[in-house]
Amino acid sequence: MAEINKKLLENLAELARIELKAEEEEKIQKDLGAVLDYFKELQVVNTDGIEPMAGGTELKNVLREDELGKTDDTGRGPEQFPETKNGYLKTPPIFE
Amino acid sequence: MSHVSLHSLTIKKFHDGLLKKEFSALEMTQAFFGWIEKKDKEIGAYLSLHKDEAVCQAEAADLKIAKGEPLNVLAGAPLAIKDNILIEGLPATAASKILENYKASYDAAVIKKLKNAGAVFLGKTNMDEFAMGSSTENSAFQKTKNPHDLSRVPGGSSGGSAAAVAAHLAVAALGSDTGGSIRQPAAFCGAVGLKPTYGAVSRYGLIAMASSLDQIGPITKTVEDAAILFKEIAGQDAMDSTSSPQARDYGEDLLNPKLEDVKKLRVGIPDEYFIDGLDKEVAAKIEEAISSIKSLGVKVQKTSLPHTKYALSCYYIIMPAEVSSNLERFDGIRYGTRQKADNLLELYKKDRESGFGAEAKRRILLGTFVLSSGYYEAYYAKAQKVRRLIAQDFDEAFREVDVILAPVTPTPAFKIGEKTSDPLSMYLSDIFTIPANLAGLPAVAIPIKAKAGLPVGFQLIGRHWREADILGIGRYYEQL
Repeated sequence: MAEINKKLLENLAELARIELKAEEEEKIQKDLGAVLDYFKELQVVNTDGIEPMAGGTELKNVLREDELGKTDDTGRGPEQFPETKNGYLKTPPIFE
Repeated sequence: MSHVSLHSLTIKKFHDGLLKKEFSALEMTQAFFGWIEKKDKEIGAYLSLHKDEAVCQAEAADLKIAKGEPLNVLAGAPLAIKDNILIEGLPATAASKILENYKASYDAAVIKKLKNAGAVFLGKTNMDEFAMGSSTENSAFQKTKNPHDLSRVPGGSSGGSAAAVAAHLAVAALGSDTGGSIRQPAAFCGAVGLKPTYGAVSRYGLIAMASSLDQIGPITKTVEDAAILFKEIAGQDAMDSTSSPQARDYGEDLLNPKLEDVKKLRVGIPDEYFIDGLDKEVAAKIEEAISSIKSLGVKVQKTSLPHTKYALSCYYIIMPAEVSSNLERFDGIRYGTRQKADNLLELYKKDRESGFGAEAKRRILLGTFVLSSGYYEAYYAKAQKVRRLIAQDFDEAFREVDVILAPVTPTPAFKIGEKTSDPLSMYLSDIFTIPANLAGLPAVAIPIKAKAGLPVGFQLIGRHWREADILGIGRYYEQL
C-alpha cells in the first residue's frame, strides 16, 4: 500500500491537470492519507476467483450501425463557447 | 384558493384540486413564488428561480383544463429540480464555480418527459458541488439549512431539493443519487426519497459524477407521490445506453399496490446495519418502524449481508475513479469559466484550480491515484471485486426475503460545520445508503412517524425492477 508523499501528490496533480496551491497540498496530502489508511480493510477480503464488477449493469455493449449523415446544426452548444473566432471555438496555442 | 395550504399539498392533492377547479395552476405557481420569496431567505434551497418560464408552463396547464383536454397527473405541478439536471436555456451549475455562467444547451431526458406531462419548474436547487458531499456544504455558492432546525444541514448532495420539499417551497423535486444523495437528505429533512434501479431512468442530461452508480429520482412528501413522479420519468432512452428495456415494464402495482400482495412480502432485517455507530434514537425509531410494518401483516425476519462493512471503502475507490474521468471535460475549453493563459496546458490547470472546490479536487486526485499504474490492481481492481461480493450478498439475501429494511443514516441531521474539516467522517454518513448503489438496487427512504425530534427515516431496498415492492410497503406504512 502506498503513502501519499509530496512528490506523488504533485505527479497526480500534473496528471489531473490541477494546479495545487501550497496550502492546499498539505491538507489534501493528509486527507488522502487518512482515506487510503481506511481502505486497508479491503486487503483482508478474500476475492480469489471473483470477477470484477465493471459497471452498474450486466447489459452488454449496446452497438448500432454507423449511419452516414450531413448536418450543419450545431445546436445551442456554441452559445457557451468562452471564446470564438469567426464562429469557431478559440483556444490558446498548444505549442509554444 | 386562499383556503389551500401549500403545506398540505402533494402531487395527488394538487391534481385533484386542479380537476375540481379549487385553484388554477397559475394561482398556485404564484403562491409558491410568494412563499419562496419569504421563506427561502432562511433556507437557501434554490440557486436560481425561473418565474417567467414557470408562469408560461402553468398557463399552458390551465389552458388544457379550460379546453377540457385530458390532464396528466403532473400537469401544472410546481417542481424543484436539482442543479445538475439540464433544462434548456436555464443555468445548470452543479453548484460549481466552473459552471457558474453555463446555460444548458438541451433538456435532460427526464425534463423532456416532465415538460410533456405539463409540469412546472420553479427553479434549480442547491447541492454539493458536482453532487459530491453529504451536507450540501460543498456548494460553491451558498449553504442550505435544514427546515426542521436551521442550525443543521439538510443532508446532501440533493440537499436543496430535500429542503425545498420539506419547507413547502415545491410540491416535489428531482434529485440524483450516487451513494445516497437522494435518500440521505430526504431522511434528514423528513421527506420521501427514491433511488430507482440502475437503468430505470435515463441520465441523458444529468451532469455525470460516477456513471456506474448515478440515478435520478424523486424527493416527495408522500410515497404515493414518489411512485407517481418515478413512473413519469422511468423508461428506456436511446440517448443513455445504460437505461434498460426492462424500464418499460413497470405495471399497475407501482401506482396501485394491493394490500393482499404487500402482505405476502417478506422483509429482512440485516444484522450488519445495526452497528455500534448507529445512534440510539435512530435505532429506537427503526424498531418502531419495524413494529408498524409487522402490524400490516408483513412477515419480518433476520437476514445477513456479510460484506456490508466493506461497502464504504469499495465506494470511495470506485466513485472517485469515475469522477476523475467524468470531470476531465471541465477544462474551460468549450464551456465554463476561462482564465488567462499563454498555452493550453497552463489554461487547463488554471481553470481547474480556480473552478473546482476542495472536495472535487480531493476526489479527482484520489481517483487519479487509484487508477494510476502500480496502484490500479491494489485499489481499483480490488474494489471492483468487492463490489461483486456486495452485490452477491443481496442476491443471496433475496432468496429468503423480498425487501430489506435498514436505517438510512447512522444519525439524524448533524450541525452545519460539524464534519467539514474531516472528509472521512463526512463519508461515513453514507455508510447505509452506498450498498444499494453498488448493487444497482432500488431503495427508498421513508420518514418514520414521530411526534417530536429531528426527522429519522428508514430504508427499504428491493430487488432489481421491484420499486413496486418497496413503494407498496411504504404506501401502506404511511396510511397507518
